[in-house]
Amino acid sequence: MLFDTTQLVVALLWIAGAFALAIALIPLLGTLPPRGRFALISFVTFIAGLFFAAEFFLPVGEDNKNILTDPFQKMQGSLQVITALSLGLGTYGLVRMHLRNAIQRRPQWGYSLVLLVAFVVMAFFSVWNTMAEKGLFGLKRTPLLENAFTLLFDYTLIQLDATMFSLIAFYIFSAAYRAFRIRSIEASILMFTAMLVMIGIVPLGKLISDSIGLPAVQTAEMRTNPFMLENILYNLRLPQIASWIQETLNAPVQRAIEFGVGIGALAMAIRLWLSLERGIN
Amino acid sequence: MEARSIWERMMQIDRRILYAILAVNIIAALMARVAIEPDIPPPVKRFYDTIEALQPGDMVMVSSTWSAGTLAENQPQFEAVLKHLMRKRVRFTIISFAPPARDISHRLARRLTEDFGYVEGKDWAHFGYAPDIIIAVKGMSEDIVQAIRQDVRRVPIAELEVMKGVKSLKDYKLVVDVTPSDTLTYWISYRPPNLKILYCPTSVMAAEAYTFLDSGQILGMITGAKGAYEYERLLGIVGLGTRFINAIQFSHVLIIVFILLGNFAMFMQRRTSAS
Amino acid sequence: MSYQHAEDNWFAAILIGFIALAVLVNIWRARRGKELYIRRIPGLDAIDEAIGRSTELGRPVTMIPGLTAFGVEAVQALTIFKYITKQIARFATPMRLLTANATVYAVAQEAIADAYNEAGRPDLYDPDSVRFLSSEQFAFASGVAGLMQRERVAANFMFGIFYAESLIFAETGNIVGAVQIAGTVSFTQVPFFVAACDYTIIGDEFYATSAYISREPVLLGSMVGQDLAKISFASMIVGGSLISTFLGTDHPIVQLLGKPQGWQPFVEWLSQVLGR
Repeated sequence: MLFDTTQLVVALLWIAGAFALAIALIPLLGTLPPRGRFALISFVTFIAGLFFAAEFFLPVGEDNKNILTDPFQKMQGSLQVITALSLGLGTYGLVRMHLRNAIQRRPQWGYSLVLLVAFVVMAFFSVWNTMAEKGLFGLKRTPLLENAFTLLFDYTLIQLDATMFSLIAFYIFSAAYRAFRIRSIEASILMFTAMLVMIGIVPLGKLISDSIGLPAVQTAEMRTNPFMLENILYNLRLPQIASWIQETLNAPVQRAIEFGVGIGALAMAIRLWLSLERGIN
Repeated sequence: MEARSIWERMMQIDRRILYAILAVNIIAALMARVAIEPDIPPPVKRFYDTIEALQPGDMVMVSSTWSAGTLAENQPQFEAVLKHLMRKRVRFTIISFAPPARDISHRLARRLTEDFGYVEGKDWAHFGYAPDIIIAVKGMSEDIVQAIRQDVRRVPIAELEVMKGVKSLKDYKLVVDVTPSDTLTYWISYRPPNLKILYCPTSVMAAEAYTFLDSGQILGMITGAKGAYEYERLLGIVGLGTRFINAIQFSHVLIIVFILLGNFAMFMQRRTSAS
Repeated sequence: MSYQHAEDNWFAAILIGFIALAVLVNIWRARRGKELYIRRIPGLDAIDEAIGRSTELGRPVTMIPGLTAFGVEAVQALTIFKYITKQIARFATPMRLLTANATVYAVAQEAIADAYNEAGRPDLYDPDSVRFLSSEQFAFASGVAGLMQRERVAANFMFGIFYAESLIFAETGNIVGAVQIAGTVSFTQVPFFVAACDYTIIGDEFYATSAYISREPVLLGSMVGQDLAKISFASMIVGGSLISTFLGTDHPIVQLLGKPQGWQPFVEWLSQVLGR
């Protein structure tokens, strides 16, 4: 059986109750003055945020849980439900717009038609495939399903996805050719760093360094005596320079930016929690 | 209207010409039989050594979140990692956090495991797609059977022979994260403390991982197809990384040549204008 | 070590409290009328210029919040886009807001409709100007690239979290000759934006954007609080480096700053010191 009857009834009752609550709340919110509405929304936002903050700060037991941990995990699950619902909303908006374009023969309606056909075909075979995999409604995998799904997924979607990613290689070529010019000190540093890393990380960088006679291996003596000539020459190898740029220049800068971003995100979260952020209200 | 000088035309080459040159370069490089020995970077060596230190029967989690878009970078890594794990006769399970990644990784794993005589359910398993990585990792850290319930073939986890003696992620030795996205921070944040992490990002995402390498939160890293090539050299196998490396390195050379050309044209243009 | 609760590392929890306090105190100071300074961010000054260019050419403006899932970054991106839309509404310039996340799409529709209302031009709002294209990364990228090419956009604003598709957007914008301003907290995509866009806003400048644009005391105060927190972090790094150099890496203060399990040894050491 697809569902247990009791569970199904309970689930339907919960859904009906939620709908009823939502339908009752909407006119109620409408009767409130704007300031009252804002106060109510701020209050609900604060309580919701307080729940997550409290779960973080409350002491935990030996099982690494406190009284709010289990409800917290259920709340995270409910966020997935909201995401799934909004996906339906987004899909509806997309289909509605393209259907209208196609019916009203608006400019470029041909693209809209292609999208709608592709959408229906892909959705049909994907849903059939998933149901056949799970054995739902007695559906089985037939040769038609196998061939169609392979054609659509393996031979179309995967190849198109890979093609779009490959465009980046061409785009970076034209972007680098246009942007890496010695116009200013910063642009020059950008250009030389990029060139050093590009050649240093590939085997050609090692080949070039070997061919100009730089030491290939760092011996124990070189490690204990970093200022000896051989060690300095070893560190001038292209792979070593590229590695130094990535580990010693890039990593601290990234940490610094991540600190700033983390603090900024925390500050913004506090403003949203306390309804101090008016941006999209 | 003044005719454009050769230097101006060089500085503003039609991008279609650039793309055509790059395409020819890549095709030629893919066909070239040039093999250059790489310098193995320490993160790749540590990656190899960590898996090499595993014992037969140890349990490893392979987190595979990549799909068709990053096939060229993640597939060589995925294949090389699985071959190494199977060579060490290690048990492994695969989990995906993106819907297309499930099918791609499952099909690839089925093809690769046949060559090593690995049986699905007995030596390895695929846990399918988990929609929320935080819930999945936290749940698996406590009880895998409760968190995942069944594998991709809808066989209950508790009935899988590969899961004998394994209750949670605490019983795993290692997680290998093959990903083009930001799943690493979730693994670091929510895994059990004893679980080691190895990372297989795309080249772009690798830049973010050096801080974690430095702090020891990840033990090793192989970066894109180039990293897969270095790893394959350590393993002594010829895989997709080896096949792609010439295309990568000669494309880098081409880009550098054209950058220098563009700058040369800019200097000459300035000199011509000044005189 | 995981940080699922404050107890996993009390020092981290105290730092969070300190940052929150710094932000709230400076918001309070700003509300009391204190003049607060924010430095110039060229990329944000160029927003009006880009919109003006679009209007002159009669070509649309695109706004892309990237692959941002609904959260703090999405709210910030939509705040910026709302400001841009209000400017656009003054000149009746066409616009397109393209999203890859359905929740962001739902919120963006409301935000953009509000923006037109607040600008006094509700008649200009077209629901089809806010579109959900696809939640798949490269399907979204191809949709955006196609739209930018077909409609020959004149200005392109990209704010949010981006992954590999960032260069596809930026280079396509370059091909059609658009003025491009990008702002992202995605560290790995910054080089692509720097190479292909006219202006790039990096890291926490992204969070400063709403303060910069609106000059609201609350937001300026928050910025100052954030900067104080950053200065404290930098001081801790320098201080920790000096202590570990002269007193060794096993010192309790260094363990507190650098190790997740450092709280307990620090508390024990402090008790001993105070007990003396």
